[in-house]
Amino acid sequence: MALLPPVTSLPTTSCITPLYIMAKNIATILRVAGMAPVLGLLFAFSHKKEVPHTPFKYDHSKSLNKIPEPSDIVFDKETGHFFIVSDHGMLFECDLQGNVIRKAAEEGLDFEGVEVRDSFVYVSDETPRVIYKYRKSDLSFVKSYRVTWSGAANKAFESITYNQTKKCFVLISEEPATIIEYDDNFRETERYPFRHTRDVSGARWYNGSMYIIGGKDATIFKCDPTAYEIQAYYKINVYNPEGLAFDASGNMTITSDDLQRIYFFKELPTIKPTGK
Amino acid sequence: MKKTLLFSLLAGTFATASHAQSEFSEFTDNPSAFTISSDKNTLEFGGRASFYYENRFLKSGQTNLKKNGFDVKDLDLDMIGKTANKFTYELHYSLVDMITAAATQNTAAPTSPGFKAAYIQYNGFKVKIKLGYDKVPFSQSSLMHEHETPNWSHSGLTGGDFFSRRDIGLTLNTRLCKNMINLYAGAYSGMGETFFEYGNDASGTFEYMARAEFSYPGKVNYNEIDEENSSVLQFRVAGNIRYKNKTQPGGASTVTTYPDAGSTYGLNFIGGKSTVYGGDAIVKYKGFSATFESDIVNLQPSNAADALFNGTSAALNKGKVKAGGFISDLNYNSEPIHSTLSVGYQNLNANDLVSGTQEWLTFAYAYKISGFNSCAKIEYYLPTKEDAVSNPLKYTGQLRVGYQVVF
Repeated sequence: MALLPPVTSLPTTSCITPLYIMAKNIATILRVAGMAPVLGLLFAFSHKKEVPHTPFKYDHSKSLNKIPEPSDIVFDKETGHFFIVSDHGMLFECDLQGNVIRKAAEEGLDFEGVEVRDSFVYVSDETPRVIYKYRKSDLSFVKSYRVTWSGAANKAFESITYNQTKKCFVLISEEPATIIEYDDNFRETERYPFRHTRDVSGARWYNGSMYIIGGKDATIFKCDPTAYEIQAYYKINVYNPEGLAFDASGNMTITSDDLQRIYFFKELPTIKPTGK
Repeated sequence: MKKTLLFSLLAGTFATASHAQSEFSEFTDNPSAFTISSDKNTLEFGGRASFYYENRFLKSGQTNLKKNGFDVKDLDLDMIGKTANKFTYELHYSLVDMITAAATQNTAAPTSPGFKAAYIQYNGFKVKIKLGYDKVPFSQSSLMHEHETPNWSHSGLTGGDFFSRRDIGLTLNTRLCKNMINLYAGAYSGMGETFFEYGNDASGTFEYMARAEFSYPGKVNYNEIDEENSSVLQFRVAGNIRYKNKTQPGGASTVTTYPDAGSTYGLNFIGGKSTVYGGDAIVKYKGFSATFESDIVNLQPSNAADALFNGTSAALNKGKVKAGGFISDLNYNSEPIHSTLSVGYQNLNANDLVSGTQEWLTFAYAYKISGFNSCAKIEYYLPTKEDAVSNPLKYTGQLRVGYQVVF
């Protein structure tokens, strides 16, 4: 497969020769360098995790043309609208089809999480570790809070939700995943390591449970809202899921930032608790 | 000419909206880094350390075992800062390269000066503007990070011997159509990694580059391995080209004035015109990924007696020298068993006026304790066809086994 033929060619060897040489070299390695035990140890450390194989499929999806890289979504019962944030540091209010109704004037750097509580919208700006508070009625900026995460700049809080069960805000660091609870002034109160997935890209308290998205694993974990123990989990057929919302009927909505799409699901099916 | 082109490049940047990311940084996806923040400004510290044992299976008659032993692959430190007014800056340097350069008066590895990135980038426009030293937008394989694969090194085609991977200059970048189209354009010194040794050359000209990518269904990052176990098929196809005319004033020899700039085969920097073009593609699906790339180096040395002509007549060589090759990798990643396997193929021709081509197979495996941030890697290099003139080998195979930590 010579791309550029040489002026003259060297004599070629049989195709068997290099394979023979490789086999001979590997034999030398195994015999002299004692690699066999090393390779054996590598595989011995391997273990197979139990993961559900049948994904919960979305009903339909829609491109979000006006919202660049949508990173989180929340449903507001009072207005019947979605609030969606963008990786580009923008907050949007949208109808239930994802059409933009208005946009907040105050922008940040890297908005990754959004939550509605009472008459305010709270937004997590991941890179600078800032929580923005907006007035829901007109999306005017109210104030900001500083939170801390000394891990990587782009692996901080991709999710913000209000835990109605424990009456606290919850931020979850993306990687390594750690659930952190805050009071109303974003003073940290408690931490829970969450090691069931490689990363966390979104979270939502809904109907007495905490739902957490494992982005790389494309899995939604349903957890109890007190100690965040997993009760059930669902594989979903969405690439790079980032945000999670439940509408008034309990139908689930997921955003994907890289694909700039919104995915509409039916209600999550009831799954027998795994006990994990 | 230079001013006109620079103005044209800049004029296109003042368009619409904004976004912030450094496309080529090796540390933007590193969960083990440390970040300090002040108001809206952040500074992230990270690094990478990796070491391996190398064993070369020497041909009969070869007795020098200098290459059989432990070696340092990486001792890198990195700082990435983001400011409230939408600037990103990065300083990435290799301690081992710097120490090696200092200890050997820059003779051991002149194309590895120690700096890997030192730039500022403004993200406030639709088009990002980067000024400084970094990877240049050419070659998918060059832009991908080998530490995020089971391999210990880049392929022979894209590791810096056929064209430079880094340079100082201006890069413009924008993404269109929901990130499916990604465009780069830039102007650089043309000295590549030897800029810190020589500065700019006497020709006073730039090297120009452009790269266009199409990805589907959305943005595809510069990660070769499908660690996300993509539930939908992703692919990217791209084409790129670079051009420079480094004919020296008075016909001075670049080999004499800038002896290290040509790199291993003398292709990277010549007195004359150099055009390099290529295409590449990647496909990812359910843990599998495959990459393909071909690059062609087309040189027109201004001196008819240039060594690259290999003493051939002008009637035969027509004033041109070509080099290039094809590379491909097939990978499989399985998170449940923390493992990544890779098989690679390379077909290289370092000079079409010199007889012989090279073919290589590589077999690599990574056992990931914590992704590629903490993993053991083993790679076997098998030369299946040797170019005895351009790259004579003293061995029939090479093994590297070691460990890497990204922090």
